[in-house]
Amino acid sequence: MAAVSVTAGRLLRLRAAGAEGYWRRLRGTGLARSFLQPASAGEDAAQTRQVAHFTFQPDPETREYGQTQKMNLFQSITSALDNSLAKDPTAVIFGEDVAFGGVFRCTVGLRDKYGKDRVFNTPLCEQGIVGFGIGIAVTGATAIAEIQFADYIFPAFDQIVNEAAKYRYRSGDLFNCGSLTIRSPWGCVGHGALYHSQSPEAFFAHCPGIKVVIPRSPFQAKGLLLSCIEDKNPCIFFEPKILYRAAVEQVPVEPYNIPLSQAEVIQEGSDVTLVAWGTQVHVIREVAAMAQEKLGVSCEIIDLRTIIPWDVDTVCKSVIKTGRLLISHEAPLTGGFASEISSTVQEECFLNLEAPISRVCGYDTPFPHIFEPFYIPDKWKCYDALRKMINY
Amino acid sequence: MALAISAARVWGPRRQAVPLLLRQLGARGLTRSQLPRWQQQQQFSSLDDKPQFPGASAEFIDKLEFIQPNVISGIPIYRVMDRQGQIINPSEDPHLPQEKVLKFYQSMTLLNTMDRILYESQRQGRISFYMTNYGEEGTHVGSAAALENTDLVFGQYREAGVLMYRDYPLELFMAQCYGNVSDRGKGRQMPVHYGCKERHFVTISSPLATQIPQAVGAAYAAKRANANRVVICYFGEGAASEGDAHAGFNFAATLECPIIFFCRNNGYAISTPTSEQYRGDGIAARGPGYGIMSIRVDGNDVFAVYNATKEARRRAVAENQPFLIEAMTYRIGHHSTSDDSSAYRSVDEVNYWDKQDHPISRLRHFLLSRGWWDEEQEKAWRKQSRKKVMEAFEQAERKLKPSPSLLFSDVYQEMPPQLRKQQESLARHLQTYGEHYPLDHFDK
Repeated sequence: MAAVSVTAGRLLRLRAAGAEGYWRRLRGTGLARSFLQPASAGEDAAQTRQVAHFTFQPDPETREYGQTQKMNLFQSITSALDNSLAKDPTAVIFGEDVAFGGVFRCTVGLRDKYGKDRVFNTPLCEQGIVGFGIGIAVTGATAIAEIQFADYIFPAFDQIVNEAAKYRYRSGDLFNCGSLTIRSPWGCVGHGALYHSQSPEAFFAHCPGIKVVIPRSPFQAKGLLLSCIEDKNPCIFFEPKILYRAAVEQVPVEPYNIPLSQAEVIQEGSDVTLVAWGTQVHVIREVAAMAQEKLGVSCEIIDLRTIIPWDVDTVCKSVIKTGRLLISHEAPLTGGFASEISSTVQEECFLNLEAPISRVCGYDTPFPHIFEPFYIPDKWKCYDALRKMINY
Repeated sequence: MALAISAARVWGPRRQAVPLLLRQLGARGLTRSQLPRWQQQQQFSSLDDKPQFPGASAEFIDKLEFIQPNVISGIPIYRVMDRQGQIINPSEDPHLPQEKVLKFYQSMTLLNTMDRILYESQRQGRISFYMTNYGEEGTHVGSAAALENTDLVFGQYREAGVLMYRDYPLELFMAQCYGNVSDRGKGRQMPVHYGCKERHFVTISSPLATQIPQAVGAAYAAKRANANRVVICYFGEGAASEGDAHAGFNFAATLECPIIFFCRNNGYAISTPTSEQYRGDGIAARGPGYGIMSIRVDGNDVFAVYNATKEARRRAVAENQPFLIEAMTYRIGHHSTSDDSSAYRSVDEVNYWDKQDHPISRLRHFLLSRGWWDEEQEKAWRKQSRKKVMEAFEQAERKLKPSPSLLFSDVYQEMPPQLRKQQESLARHLQTYGEHYPLDHFDK
């Protein structure tokens, strides 16, 4: 009893220190273990280093684009936006709270640098933000809209799906809103629950006329975001919020482009193809290392990068080589984008498949708060699915 | 002291400098008691006098009183002509030259003639769908005439008169309705979903009110570009209930956009009368709630519409602020060819508006009384306009439809490889099964 109250006190002090790393510290207090195994209350568990379900793996620094600087994800976004506003005098950034720098600091410094007519707050209204952005783009100016969380993009769904996506087609190319880009924080963050963790890419995948892009790292984010902004079609750019501070890399200071609709094979392999995007790429990287070490299995890892239009050829080429495919995403299983990839691959590569295609995804539930560690498709679930595929 | 003065300039004379002073104290780790006594006393008493809330600029009241919405005696309706086409207040006469007023008249009547013929053509199965503009021609032409040709127009679907006034050819109206090879929209949309880049008329889309925040964005971009351009956004009183309308009004006001919101209040949204659409004083009364300059006009009085739009345009561009014009009118026709309005309104009601308060008749009375028009010209014009419409109509009907390959283009600026594969698969399918498809009517 005394031991429990000691650990409770320690827990309360740690909570006062901040919510980040909550689970790490909780484990450190032994309280979680005492919940699970009452008999051993009071023993301290060793503090674990990892705060999240993944370890961000930076890509090797590239010299291709000139001088680089250490940046985290939100800084790489700021850099891309800075480059855009410098190059394109028509470009404007708007959304809720972007003026002071944004709730994730992506627009820090830009209003001071470029003026209040170019970086400004809008009223709290997502359908207005996107509609307004479409209108700017119709005149040919560059509109960069921010939706504060991808979970809140749904009021703008009509403007995105019925308007932005169809503007060029329905007008016979008389009008378009190609210079619109919508940016939004995306994906699980450890404590976000139902409304700060969603990955809604599948809703938009079903919508011809827009592009949906998701980066895995600061270097990728800057190049992909610049491509989205310059692309002549309306684009949605989802930014994995859990990587905003956790992902740090050397990123070129000057602008550069990473092509859209091109998946990247980030590790070659021969036995199984692993496909993911955003944060989950780092999870499957670890799974590949585990598979190599424990099972002697060589994995080919693909970062899809663009959800639509997606790079069917790269994925199919890989599956033809390996014969096995595992796709993983945080979004719920049913109707998730893995189902589209799975369906296409079985059509194109049926005779090459050695095992059924495996999807390791979130459950078909809203995104829970306290149960997040059980909900997410972590490396153990991916590893287990991979093992079953190998042994099929 | 200098702080207090600069604070007053920032927030206006009515707000006190007290909050700023208190914040500065806090920032320096000081307390109020460390201020000189005269400043302490001044702050304490001035806190009692006026509200300090950032959210409203208002006085206190100590009597509990709800504001009564005024719907019995609503915002008055501005008009220039009476129902017999006579100018009521000569100082409001826009004194437009004869040829301009004749252009008003001819645009409205040509539209009316085209409407009759195309409505009939749908009844006969020649086109799939049509929407007439009966009774609202004054709202289109009066407003269009008050704009510059380069002002950008976002419409809803019942603004064909704006295009007519901008000399959009009959051939292209018909091409869009027939979806033939001449349609600049490439046959993609249902009839009356017009669009014209050269005439700055953004292509119509079916979802209602979506154009409202878009128009605001376009106006913002025009302001940034110093284009001296206004954007006008048309919508009905029904569409004004949509969330997009609220969004558009609020954004236009907060972001200071040169835009004219033009609401055609025609009494019905399909079968829904205004008594079921809103409970307040129409749309004009909402403007002040957003901080928007607003006016209500007689939409069947083409000069009233003209005057209001002209002044709104001048000020919107000069002052970078939105204007709301609610044009009261009446939808004489059915909502569309899919509607039979006798199911929800009386023939007598419709007849009243058709016979007693029609924008075309009122303008005709004006023209006749000025001696700018007569019965001879009326007969000749009716014959001529009908002939023009019939010719365009017959030609439109004879043309082929666009090639089915155009089903696939313009989804993106460039065609993605997967879509090209689908296009090829349709082509192959037609090679084998082509006889089951109406290929004869389509271009190769």
